[in-house]
Amino acid sequence: MAQPRAAAKSQEVVNEEEPADKTPDTKLYEELGELARFIDTTMKTLSEFSTPVSTSTEQLPQAQTHLLNLKTQTEQGTHRVMLEVEAIQDNHAHLSKLLKEMTQTLQLAKASPALMQQMQVLGQGLGQDDKRLLDIMTALSFQDLVAQSVNKLVTILDEVEHKLLQLVVVFGPYQKQAAKTDQGKASQMLKQLEATKNTSMDQDLADEILKQFGFN
Amino acid sequence: MPADPNMKILVVDDMSTMRRIVKNILKQLGFNNLEEAENGQEALTKLKAETYGFVVSDWNMPVMMGIDMLRAIRADESLKKIPVLMVTAEAQKENLMEAVQAGVSNYVVKPFTAETMQEKINKIFK
Repeated sequence: MAQPRAAAKSQEVVNEEEPADKTPDTKLYEELGELARFIDTTMKTLSEFSTPVSTSTEQLPQAQTHLLNLKTQTEQGTHRVMLEVEAIQDNHAHLSKLLKEMTQTLQLAKASPALMQQMQVLGQGLGQDDKRLLDIMTALSFQDLVAQSVNKLVTILDEVEHKLLQLVVVFGPYQKQAAKTDQGKASQMLKQLEATKNTSMDQDLADEILKQFGFN
Repeated sequence: MPADPNMKILVVDDMSTMRRIVKNILKQLGFNNLEEAENGQEALTKLKAETYGFVVSDWNMPVMMGIDMLRAIRADESLKKIPVLMVTAEAQKENLMEAVQAGVSNYVVKPFTAETMQEKINKIFK
C-alpha cells in the first residue's frame, strides 16, 4: 500500500523507535518476495541445465580417450617415418664409405680428373641428402609438441569434468539417461569417432578378408 | 676442450620420439655412446650407477621434472660437474632463468634444428 511521503518519513522515524514487528514494512516484504521469486526462477533455470550438463559430463571421458588415442597414433606414425629415415641414413653411411674407398683407389690408379670430379659430385649429393634426412628427423619433433598439447587438454578436460559433476550434484540428480535424449553435435562427433575406432582394421586383417573374396 | 666423441651421453625425455630424435642428431654429430632415460628419477639412478660425460634432458616429465633432476645433479658432489643441456618446449623467460639458476649448461627450445644442437654442444665443450 502506497503511503504519502511525509507519512512514510514519519513512519520511518517511528520505526527507529519502535520494534519492527509492530509495523510491518510493506516495501521490505515486496522486496523479499521479489528476491524469493528470483531465487526460485534461478534455481529452475539451473535445474534445466542439469540434463545437458550430465550429457557433457558423460561425454568428457570419451573425448579424453580419443585425445589420448590421437597422441598414440601420432607417436606410432612418427616412429614409422623415423624407422625409414634411419634405414636411409644407414645406407648413406655405407655408400659414403664405399665412395671414399673407391675415390682412394681411383686416385692411386691415377684416374682421369673428369672421373674424380664425378666421384666428388656423388659425395656432395650424398652429403646434401644426409642433411635433408636430418632435417626430416628434427621436423618430426612436432609430435612431442602435439603430445604435450594433448596432455594439457586432457588435464583441462579432467578439471572441467569434475566441475560439471559438482554442478550436477548441486542442481540435480546425475541423469544417466540424459545422453540418450540430448544428441547434440558433440555427441554425434564422438559417436563417429567411436565408430571409426571400432571399425578400423589393419592391413593384415584387410588382406585376410580380401582373400576370402578371392583376392590374392 | 672439444667434446669427446666416445663419452657416454644420457638422453632424458618421457617421449620416445624425442629420445630417438636427439639420439639420431647426436649420432650424426659423431657421438655413438648413447643411453636414455624416461624421467629425472631414472636418469639420476643411471648417472649414479655409471660414468656419463654429458646429459641432454627435457623439462616436463612425469615422476621427476628435468629442472628437479638438474638441481639434484648440481647438489651431488660426484655428479655436479656433468654438463647438462636442456631441450624443452618451456620457452618462457622465467623457465630459462630458473634453469640458469639451477646450473644448466645450455638451453635449447623445441622445435630445434641439428645446427642449434651442434652449436650448443660446441659452446658447452669449447
